[in-house]
Amino acid sequence: MTLQSIKRLFGNVDYYLLFATFSLCGIGIAAIYSAGVDANGVVVSNEYIKQLIWFVIGIFLLIGAALIDFSRFKDTAWIFFALSIILLILTRLVGKVVNGSRSWLGLAGFGIQPAEFAKIATVLMLARYLDSAEFDSSFKKLLKTGGILAIPLMLILSQPDFGSALVFFPAALAILTLADVDFRYILFGVLSIVGIFLFLSLPLYAQNHPNPENLLYMLVTQDRILYVVFILILIVSIISSIGWFKFKKPYYYWLSYSLAILAFSIAGATAAHKLLKPYQIERLLVFIDPNIDPKGSGWNILQSITAIGSGGFWGKGFLKGTHSHARYIPQQSTDFIFSIIAEEFGFFGCMVLFVLYTIIFVRCFILIETSKDRFSQFVVGGILGIFAFHFMINIGMAMGIMPVTGIPLYFVSYGGSALWSGLISIGILTGISARRYSA
Amino acid sequence: MAVLQKKITRRIRVLRTLILSLLAIYSVNLFSMQVLRKKLFESEAERISIQSTRIPAPRGEIYDRSGERLLAGNIEAYSVYITPSELPRAQRNTVVNNLARLLNMSTDDIESKLPDPNAYSYGRVVVAKNASLAAITEIAARIDDFPGVSWTSKPLRDYADLGSLSNIVGYVGTITRDEYKLLYNKGYTLEDLTGKAGIELTYEDLLKGQDGWISKAVDVHGKDIASDVARIQAPVAGKRLILTIDSSIQKIAEDALGKRQGSVVVLKPSTGEVLAMVTYPYYDSRVFMSDSAGRAYLELLNNPQKPMLNRAYQASYPPASTFKTILTAAILEEGFISPDKTVYCSGEIFYGGRSWSCHVKKPGHGPLALEDALAQSCDIYYWTVGRDYIGVENIVSYAQDFGYGKDTGIDLPGENEGLLPTPSWKEEKYNEPWTPGDTMNLSIGQGYMLASPLQVADMMAMVVNDGVIYKPHVLKEVRDPATGALIHEIQPEVVHKSSISAKTFDMLRSYLRNVIVNGTPKVAMSTKVVQIAGKTGTAEIGLKDRWHSWFASFGPYDAPAKDQVVVVTMVEASNPWEWWAPYAANVIYQAMYAGQSAQEAAKAVGVRLEGSSVHGRRE
Repeated sequence: MTLQSIKRLFGNVDYYLLFATFSLCGIGIAAIYSAGVDANGVVVSNEYIKQLIWFVIGIFLLIGAALIDFSRFKDTAWIFFALSIILLILTRLVGKVVNGSRSWLGLAGFGIQPAEFAKIATVLMLARYLDSAEFDSSFKKLLKTGGILAIPLMLILSQPDFGSALVFFPAALAILTLADVDFRYILFGVLSIVGIFLFLSLPLYAQNHPNPENLLYMLVTQDRILYVVFILILIVSIISSIGWFKFKKPYYYWLSYSLAILAFSIAGATAAHKLLKPYQIERLLVFIDPNIDPKGSGWNILQSITAIGSGGFWGKGFLKGTHSHARYIPQQSTDFIFSIIAEEFGFFGCMVLFVLYTIIFVRCFILIETSKDRFSQFVVGGILGIFAFHFMINIGMAMGIMPVTGIPLYFVSYGGSALWSGLISIGILTGISARRYSA
Repeated sequence: MAVLQKKITRRIRVLRTLILSLLAIYSVNLFSMQVLRKKLFESEAERISIQSTRIPAPRGEIYDRSGERLLAGNIEAYSVYITPSELPRAQRNTVVNNLARLLNMSTDDIESKLPDPNAYSYGRVVVAKNASLAAITEIAARIDDFPGVSWTSKPLRDYADLGSLSNIVGYVGTITRDEYKLLYNKGYTLEDLTGKAGIELTYEDLLKGQDGWISKAVDVHGKDIASDVARIQAPVAGKRLILTIDSSIQKIAEDALGKRQGSVVVLKPSTGEVLAMVTYPYYDSRVFMSDSAGRAYLELLNNPQKPMLNRAYQASYPPASTFKTILTAAILEEGFISPDKTVYCSGEIFYGGRSWSCHVKKPGHGPLALEDALAQSCDIYYWTVGRDYIGVENIVSYAQDFGYGKDTGIDLPGENEGLLPTPSWKEEKYNEPWTPGDTMNLSIGQGYMLASPLQVADMMAMVVNDGVIYKPHVLKEVRDPATGALIHEIQPEVVHKSSISAKTFDMLRSYLRNVIVNGTPKVAMSTKVVQIAGKTGTAEIGLKDRWHSWFASFGPYDAPAKDQVVVVTMVEASNPWEWWAPYAANVIYQAMYAGQSAQEAAKAVGVRLEGSSVHGRRE
């Protein structure tokens, strides 16, 4: 790399993107500082210093990522992927258990969450595969994508870290959308996820609103009935598939399509019930009605909503958020960082945060449209999917309209691994952006 | 390629629309929360962080008649809590172990109260409700070794060793859901204790007091965070209650009854004050305040001897020969038969196709007029007179006059009103007509007739009072909890005034005196310190060699009515037959009027408290 090429690289850097990213990191450090101050104004946590250090290191990671020309070395994507899988396996074997899941890999008192980095590696791997498989059928693309996803997903689910596992889906969906996979398949994925949530939440809902007369109630509370229905659906679905192959009538296709979604949802929800502990499911679904358990799982949501709402238009002022400083909100600096920002900086502050995120999203779209190669498009799309999903879930959770899955708000939440993976992603975006007009 | 590129551009547009709509929806939602509904959340935030902590009011104290013996007071009880989110996982086991040692609990006990360590839980969990001061001192001294552990103190009911008084004082317990619904408007919370029985239940409103509160800004762990002084409303203690119960008489009566299933009532007829009310077996109010209250309660409920029952007013039995007092009054008042006219007792009569035997078998009492018939408790006299001269309507009307068949109105819960059978009642209940045989049974207080010992005591009180019954009560005075100043004194309340003439009562009293001097209980009533008048009763309940034993009496016979007491003793047929009722009364009178203990009195009158030597009935 010549001096000239580096110069050119800096000349083409997307400074809007970097401005938005660094601003968000700054807001995050301020909010983490505020979260570490108790009601008497005493600083009880040094988390903000750690975050600051991670941020400084993260800038170097960003630059490093920007300097690698991924599209040129796209054939090496599998190396990153394999590396992250090895880390995940190591985590599974010798990882540290924090908050009930074995998700930390410790190195002499210093820990990382490999799942965070696996996201990026998987995005690169998927982009590489779909780039090379331009002329494959949609079905084949989907199958292979599923195969690639399954490896990190299984490992992360076994930790178990449901929230992190969930993020792989929007990333994959975004890439598949750009890779011209038939919409029917994408719709299948989206509807299946919605269906899994539905079938996860129905038993909990039924438990709180008993109605023994109701057929649906019986379906979701009695396993045996559910199994029978599941098998029936499966049989009808198979029969209609046969019908489709034999007679090629569209309604056979759609019947089998929708029943397969239903079967998939039931199977997924049942598997989740087996895999997750009851409190995890409850935490996941408590957003439906936080009052189910106001002292336990519902507590976070109720307190967070109260903190946000009481912020008003201008907020209570930096370090003046009474609700946050009385330590009413657990995981204040990580999962619920948004509530302290909303309480102290109000609607106005939230809008500033939204604008900064919008800049990142918009820059991503521009990048997708102006990228010179499909691989770069896919990578940007995947990263965009991850960012947008984190944004949607984290802020939605703080506002009480999304499930509590414990996934961080990129750049803002306290935590080294998420910050670094976010900054590396931005580095990748910057690199792609700076090189798009070069030969 | 161009077509494909166009398709991709459309897809990008879809993605962009999705993400921008997400931003728009979130913005609108935030606007709605932070601007439109700001007020709502603000007040919610205030409500959560300004916490009113209740300061429970000490429950009113209960004293006996002297105002000196404390029956029910309060002690400080310490509850220990763990806030799981404050307890670091690494220290969890150590803390639980140390706590278990201090609180004399097993670690499993504590662990079972804590939530799953992985679950988020921000409430605090009660670990022990009755910790000792020593344990609390230890925790406080080493608070750094007990992260997440906190405690509160609140006054807890503390009962003296009440003996049989337990069944009068009652006990308190945690409010039930049903009680809570009724008491919600009075400011009760689900953590409150309420009276469950006895005085504690009847006078709940007086004893309860008014909880105070401190309202202060607190953080999630309940620690104060605002430096300005909290607003405080001091609690108001419940009223001090002085009972009519005389502890020394209660003790005498308790000892005189001994371990015999039954009851004793000592009543002051001129006011209705209950001086003593013993039931056996009794429970111990203290067990309800222990940590094993639930199990103790179940044991008491399942005990076949029914210790929860206050047999003096919550149980009813056939009053047997004590009921002859009613017929005697009727005859004296209305002359259904001349008091001088004799009826011949041959020990047995035949009526309605069966034989009716007097308690004295053949050849029987011989010819008896009213006074002797009462003294000898001759069944044949009363059968004949009741059936042929007075008639059931008159017997019922006189029995009602004396207060049978309805509750006495005593200020204790769960009164048993007994049963006064009438022809129409029998018609309704059994769909059978009233027979003269039923009248005969009723005439000697048998058959369907049931009365509680307290009702029998009221009957004797009416005899003493020339026809007036004062409502029996156990509350004497209500006093200020702090100063002891008198707030309210319970005045005698006339619940019934009979139209029977004073002359009749005069005669009746002398007849009842004659019962003691010349009648059946002459041997048993050996005390010389006081002149007693009264009537025995021996109720047949279908057992061969056992009967309910009654003795209803008043004395001193020669004293003015205001100085007299009524003593009713009742010993159930479940005990071995000792004809104990009159003996118990004898000991009680001797002890009360000679200033002796029951043991001394028994010695003085030559009775063994462990049991009399009587075998077979003496009526």
